[in-house]
Amino acid sequence: MSPLLMAALATLAIPAGMTLLFGVVPMLRRTGKPAAILSILAATTVLGIAGWLFATWLGNPTESLQIATYWLTMGGQPLGQVGVHLDGISVSMLLVVATVAWCVQLFSLGYLSDEPPNGLGRYFTYQSLFLFSMNLLVLAPDLMQLFIGWELVGATSYLLIGFWYPKPAAAKAAIKAFVVTKFADSGLILGLMVLAVASGGFAWDAPITPATAEIVAGLLFVAVMGKSAQFPLHIWLPDAMQGPTPVSALLHAATMVAAGVYLIVRADPIFSAAVHVREFMTYLGAFTALFAAIIATVQTDIKKVLAYSTCSQLGYMISGLGAGSLLGGYFHLTTHAFFKALLFLAAGAVIHAVHSNEFTDMGGLFKKLKFVAIAFIFGSLSLAGVPGLAGFYSKDLILEAVHESGNHFALFALLLTAGLTAFYMTRTVVKTFLGQMSHSAEHAHGPGPSMTLPLLVLLVPTIALGWAAGPFATLFGKPYEFHMGLVGYTAIALGLGGIALGYLVYGLGALAFLPRLFKPVATLANSSVMDELWQSVYEIGGQTPSRAAAWTDRYIVDGLMNFIGWLTIVLGQQLRKLQTGDVQDYLYAVFGAAALLALFGGWR
Amino acid sequence: MSLADLQPLMLGLILACAALLVLLVDLVIKPSGKPILGWLTAAILAGTLVASWLLPLEGEVQAGVWQGNLWSTFLARVMISAGLLAVLGGLDYVARVWPYRQGEFYTLLLFSLTGMVLLPGCRELAAFVVCFELMGIPIYVLAAYSKNDNGKKPPEAALKLLLIGAASTALTFFGAALLVGMAGSSRFAELVPYEPGPLHAVAALLLLAGMAFKIGVAPFHMWVPDTYEGSPTPVVAFLSVAPKVAGFAALSSIFLIAMPTLAHAWRPMLWLLVVVTMVVGNLVAIPQTNLKRLMAFSGVAQVGYILLGFLGGAEFGAAMMLFYLATYVFANIGMFLIVHAVAEAGEGEDIVSLNGLARRSPWLALALLMFLLSLAGIPFVAGFWAKFYVFTAAWRAGHGEMVLLGALFATVALFYYLGVARAAFVNKSAIEGPVPVKRPLALAIVVCLLGTVGLGAWPNPLVEAALAAVQGLY
Repeated sequence: MSPLLMAALATLAIPAGMTLLFGVVPMLRRTGKPAAILSILAATTVLGIAGWLFATWLGNPTESLQIATYWLTMGGQPLGQVGVHLDGISVSMLLVVATVAWCVQLFSLGYLSDEPPNGLGRYFTYQSLFLFSMNLLVLAPDLMQLFIGWELVGATSYLLIGFWYPKPAAAKAAIKAFVVTKFADSGLILGLMVLAVASGGFAWDAPITPATAEIVAGLLFVAVMGKSAQFPLHIWLPDAMQGPTPVSALLHAATMVAAGVYLIVRADPIFSAAVHVREFMTYLGAFTALFAAIIATVQTDIKKVLAYSTCSQLGYMISGLGAGSLLGGYFHLTTHAFFKALLFLAAGAVIHAVHSNEFTDMGGLFKKLKFVAIAFIFGSLSLAGVPGLAGFYSKDLILEAVHESGNHFALFALLLTAGLTAFYMTRTVVKTFLGQMSHSAEHAHGPGPSMTLPLLVLLVPTIALGWAAGPFATLFGKPYEFHMGLVGYTAIALGLGGIALGYLVYGLGALAFLPRLFKPVATLANSSVMDELWQSVYEIGGQTPSRAAAWTDRYIVDGLMNFIGWLTIVLGQQLRKLQTGDVQDYLYAVFGAAALLALFGGWR
Repeated sequence: MSLADLQPLMLGLILACAALLVLLVDLVIKPSGKPILGWLTAAILAGTLVASWLLPLEGEVQAGVWQGNLWSTFLARVMISAGLLAVLGGLDYVARVWPYRQGEFYTLLLFSLTGMVLLPGCRELAAFVVCFELMGIPIYVLAAYSKNDNGKKPPEAALKLLLIGAASTALTFFGAALLVGMAGSSRFAELVPYEPGPLHAVAALLLLAGMAFKIGVAPFHMWVPDTYEGSPTPVVAFLSVAPKVAGFAALSSIFLIAMPTLAHAWRPMLWLLVVVTMVVGNLVAIPQTNLKRLMAFSGVAQVGYILLGFLGGAEFGAAMMLFYLATYVFANIGMFLIVHAVAEAGEGEDIVSLNGLARRSPWLALALLMFLLSLAGIPFVAGFWAKFYVFTAAWRAGHGEMVLLGALFATVALFYYLGVARAAFVNKSAIEGPVPVKRPLALAIVVCLLGTVGLGAWPNPLVEAALAAVQGLY
């Protein structure tokens, strides 16, 4: 076996081993800090391996290695595989996951310093489980293993959102996230079934007709909508912010929610054949991008802003993939993973300092948290698409692709989103770091080294990854050439305009009518109208058949069973009367039965 | 004939000598030392069990009148184990209740065991009948052992057993006499001609009636509940399994060796008896409130399942019957010993006596649960495999309808078995404190528990031993 494959297997085995170790040795888990350090060391090893693999692939981008074995057979036919598949896509994604996971684990050490040892150990057990599950998903040789990883990260997400489960809001949010994504995952299972029946396997490039591809891609996309928080299944993501902030950075911004995008990139042979599904993706992605961006402008909770921003950016990626830009969608996934993780971790440092998520408890923090503020501002600029920073390049690829596809609605929505994004990020920066200092901000304390180092690490790709778009594209086997068209310039103008407008409104207090204009949006966005909509969908679509089934079960099935039970008991009581206790009767029975037997024997 | 020719009969001879030895020791020992007799019996039985692996027991006696092989040895081991467990379980009870009659108790038990152990090897009717009665007659006495000393109904129970036993023996002897009269020989191999006449079939079915009494097949089962309820529980623990094992051995050797050509006559009847047995056993068990009566009907129902293996026929079916019997020994004796332990604590023998057992004696309750699960056939205790294998055997023999019926009644059986578990685990009891369990009794229960759980986890060795044992039958 090639050492590369061995190394890839190690990226699965090491975090899995950690999880098992913490799981079966509660003594170790309950020590807290030692367990955390062990977990971070494991993540460091995984990071090292991922870096080595990535470097190897940069030198030889077209290489593809695989070791896999069939574990699932249907009627003697091999079906599902388990193993690792290494190519440019999986190796680069592995590095993204490993980097962010490492940063987040290290950051958590400082962020959760007040956590009791028991809780800390539990947290790092989940973190290790997540790293294993995500790597399992990323390295999957076919859709079946991806599905396993997909469900495992979903389970870890549930565990980590509900990490502070004594808090009712956290417990509820965890359940909500689980239920919504599970509902969507039914699409993945159905898609896998259709794929298996149609092609006899779960391969990425299964040979299927375009019509089947539409069905499979459509079903898979339902799951993507759940995992990657696309309208109208995005409702779980804002609530998921109840989890610890580093968790939000890792799962609910950088990696897990991007798994849906990764699925589309991996299953490109299926999706590229499904023209209608891709068109739908372009529309839905663009709509989600705009919709979430509008809501983000009125949030007062720093994590909620970032959560809606994540929805919005995932919409960007989906829209780009729908328009046919594999590279654009995937590259934006990568840059977004870094700068959004940076934003979340920086926000985490702020929250850690002021013990609150609300803007009212922040303000003027630039003086107190200089480095954090600089990191956050760079992340915001990258997200806003300021030229030269990473986000600009990847966003531009998507916009160009959507432009080329001729979808004017999507292009318009995405351009508007670009402006809004710049606007709400400026608003966030202003409300957090500039202006009047709030009471709790005055007592803010700076982060420790374990929290600043991850920010520093993430700052590098946030700024510079865009410059590496060329080598990155070679991993895809696609040419990349930077060029600026009309769309690009418009996007830059809108981005800068958004920043300017944001500063005017929130920094200088001009144009005071604008925030008032947003009032109705804010009321609508913060009301539970989406939740209620789903509630009624659930009640009509889900509970009605359930009630009918319950009625049938209670009165028909149970009735039948109760009747049989009653009959059994009555029969027993009647038969019991044969047992009179008189030995004469017993002897009648013996001789009677013997006579019958003998008669039968004579007859035969 | 030299003494060495008796080598294959060694296990029976040891037990017969042991019976005499116990009787002799009883004569010379002081009354205060009599509990030693129980230990002596247990030691001899344990030794005999070990000896069954060490002694060469293969071979023929008297030119084929008796055949020692894996079949007879396997069954002997099962019966001796049952005897050993019953002796251990009853040791303290016997010493306390009948301090002056301990010697006779163990002597009778050992004589009965001698008959049982020798029964499976018999290939000739006279020897067969002698062994059959040697097994049966001491049991009549044992069932009546309590006389009237605790106000219950032992004499009545024993009398019923004796009367119905006598009637059945009459039937058996009548059938045997007919066969011998027609064949002019009493050897199994020569008993039934290749083309039997109607009278042969009549004789065969009369023999079947006699066997059916011994193993408690409905409608020959009516003595079972009354006798179980009235007899001392350690006796019942023995009585409920060991004669049954012997009865099945007898059934197999007579019907499979001597009467394969009569299968068209006895198989349909056996089929009918299985149906009746399952229905009666399972349904009448439901309304029972007395544990020993419940176990009596449960035993009737279990016999239905064991017969299913027999009906499954051929080597596999017979082997699975053996496997079932072995697992049944552990679960059933275990159950009776727990009933005994609870009754000894002064709580009575009703289902309600078990109330709150899980709180009072969690380990005892756990053992109880395992025995119940095994009897009900729940994975993965021994009884599950037993039911699974006899169903497989019946299915292979084309008796799909019996598998269906058996599965159906296994569900019904869950009701009353879990009813007992419910008493122990859910119901509350006013009485506090653990149920006192004497050492030897605890040892016997632990062995039963290990057997039940162990064979559930790893049934293979016993399955293979049973498959090998059946080779000896043909």
